[in-house]
Amino acid sequence: MRRALSMAAVLAFAASPALAQEPALGTQAQRDAGKVLYEAKCAHCHGLNGDADAVGAAYLRPAPRDFTSSTFKFRTTMSGELPSDDDIRRSIREGMPTTGMPPWPTLSRADVDNLVYYIKTFADDFSGPFGIPEMIEIPKAPSVSAETIARGREVFVENQCVDCHGNGGRGSGKSAPTLTDQWDYHIRPADLTKRWTFRNGSTREDIYRTFNTGLDGSPMPAYEIEPIEDRWALVDYVVSLSADEPNYATAVVATPVTEINDAAFEATPPSLFAIVGQVVEPGRAFYPGISAIEARALVTADQVAVQLRWNDMIADTRGMNGPDLPVDETERWIGAPDTSGTFSDAVAIQFPTETPEGVEMPYFMFGDRKSSVDLWFADLAGPTGQHYIGNGSGNVRAGGPALGLRAAYDDGMWTATFTRDRNVEGHIGFDEGAFVPVAFSVWDGFNAESGNRRGLTSWYYVYVDVAEKPSPVGPMAGYGFLTLLLGVGITAFMRRKYSGA
Amino acid sequence: MNVLVILAIIAVMVALRFLKPTIVVWAIAWWFAVFAMANYGIDPPVPTSVTNMFMAIVTIALLAYVTAAEGRMREAGESLVAFFTSKKYFIPLVIMLVAVPLLVAFNVYSSMTTQPAPPAAGRTIHPPPPATVSFKGRTVDLNNDVNPYRHLEDDDSEAFAQHVDNGRRVYYENCVYCHGDNMAGDGHFAHGFNPIPANFQDPTTIAMLQEGYLFWRIAKGGPGLPVESTPWASAMPAWELFLSEEEIWDVILFLYDFTDQRPRAREVHE
Repeated sequence: MRRALSMAAVLAFAASPALAQEPALGTQAQRDAGKVLYEAKCAHCHGLNGDADAVGAAYLRPAPRDFTSSTFKFRTTMSGELPSDDDIRRSIREGMPTTGMPPWPTLSRADVDNLVYYIKTFADDFSGPFGIPEMIEIPKAPSVSAETIARGREVFVENQCVDCHGNGGRGSGKSAPTLTDQWDYHIRPADLTKRWTFRNGSTREDIYRTFNTGLDGSPMPAYEIEPIEDRWALVDYVVSLSADEPNYATAVVATPVTEINDAAFEATPPSLFAIVGQVVEPGRAFYPGISAIEARALVTADQVAVQLRWNDMIADTRGMNGPDLPVDETERWIGAPDTSGTFSDAVAIQFPTETPEGVEMPYFMFGDRKSSVDLWFADLAGPTGQHYIGNGSGNVRAGGPALGLRAAYDDGMWTATFTRDRNVEGHIGFDEGAFVPVAFSVWDGFNAESGNRRGLTSWYYVYVDVAEKPSPVGPMAGYGFLTLLLGVGITAFMRRKYSGA
Repeated sequence: MNVLVILAIIAVMVALRFLKPTIVVWAIAWWFAVFAMANYGIDPPVPTSVTNMFMAIVTIALLAYVTAAEGRMREAGESLVAFFTSKKYFIPLVIMLVAVPLLVAFNVYSSMTTQPAPPAAGRTIHPPPPATVSFKGRTVDLNNDVNPYRHLEDDDSEAFAQHVDNGRRVYYENCVYCHGDNMAGDGHFAHGFNPIPANFQDPTTIAMLQEGYLFWRIAKGGPGLPVESTPWASAMPAWELFLSEEEIWDVILFLYDFTDQRPRAREVHE
């Protein structure tokens, strides 16, 4: 309520030119308090002078905001204008998902106000004639329907959103590989099928704001779509592309089937796992190209199959890749992406070579000296699966049982399906009812990922489902009947003993 | 605390009080009120194992209350007999006789059809440290060695600030991705790991530990955890492979400096 009131106050303030003469810069005491807080909490990344020249900035991508540039991505103001105070407050409070900027819910309202006043001292524009930006209005959202979503799809195509965000919204449009921000870093279009990663927020109002104001400094322009119903239709279409939350899984169920085929995979629910950068071993991936991977699994009497799906901006099928490739230890990921086709896209499923006894598992990054892992590896430039054995990063060698592989790239999404014999002497087995530890690695060739520079997960499980499950009907009826008998018995006993009492 | 749920529970109980229920109804109402409170009134939710234990205690307590006084005991007995024999309660009795077996059948069905859960990886919050660790051939005595740069805080504030600054560099190069910008364990890669990265803002983490303990956890990481702490579940790397001893002591200084916490003081035994 207070927030709504203050929002209304700001709007009224901006709308009335008589009052809107002086930008709000706070008192000296407020700015001083903001400075103390800024230097304790923010300067590590945004720099003592607000210019993002700081110890944290070197390894964070997207890079921390340079407050001296007067360019701000997240605004409720017209393109090219400064953000409103509430915009800066929102950025501090909510943070930006999947970036180095966390939300700061612990700061008090006064703390955030003081920070806003201090941040505004880094650029003269805030105190000058541009200090009072022109706000855009976010009208009340109409209701969603199948028609508005369908209309939204048309608006999406009419406004060439497809060029960058791709036909399926997976961030794989034809110009996606060429996009740069104002500092000439490559920048990826948002993957619209993962709403929880939207840096400017994922509510309908947030999405409306994003394309109406554009993200200054990035290639995302401001769109003036008419009529306003079409703007909300576009919002509805974007919202329809993903769930509210990622609902990350902890296990993938391997369903017993008589034959492994696409229809059987489609009939099983997928499990989504978060991919994060390998940031420990040399060749660290601070900004991996892939953010999540989806897995399904099937077993027949003598085969096991795992199907992986993940969104990738562009299919890199030139060059080569391998989990054992040495990585150039310079942190060149900061530079331009690799468009020369040196490295192909690749993916690997990791299992312990032997079923772990007790709770100890091989180290999640390619195993360790004591216990090895099996890697089912696919270099997506080639047609075959390769088996590797890992005894730790930098100690991975080819070898092991034969693997089947089918892989295809379509509209921003890779699908790779591995098959292996269910029982192989000396390698992990897939017994009925077993929880088999599993981890994933994925390499984005465009991002110059190879060897240790990759996205990965820690250990999860494949649950091998039981082929013939006992029917619950018998036990249900039995226990239910016994309980009924007990109830009737007690009633009869009570009535006999106390009737007439 | 979920205020709306708590208010609703209180309102229902107050309303019931005015209806002057029998002792049996009153005890059952209390049982459900506590159950609703434990399961829906507390936020973040309490683990089921804890609420189950709590409900067992509440059941015993209510039984004890009902049976403790002769008057209550007699009243309870009479109303139970009335429930089973009186014509007045015939319909509720039939409903109960049908509903309870159905509930049992449903329970059997759901326990037979849910997928088994992955083996739980328990987490020891502060596993017991060894007495000494070897660091690149040198033995570090975790109980008696102190942070070799801590004394600079009093002796040479300029040199101390340099060590903290070096710790800051180490933190942003290596730790920030998981432990986060405000050290709340919410870095941008934190969601990829379970157990989640440690939250240093939490007063029950580094403020309760000595610096030697932090040295052990940073140097040896998940792979160096003792067996009873379910090793390998933690994705914390063994930083001894990548950092020098000085860098580890410096980053420890920075952790305390940034979070305004103090390491746990050494206990003096006579």
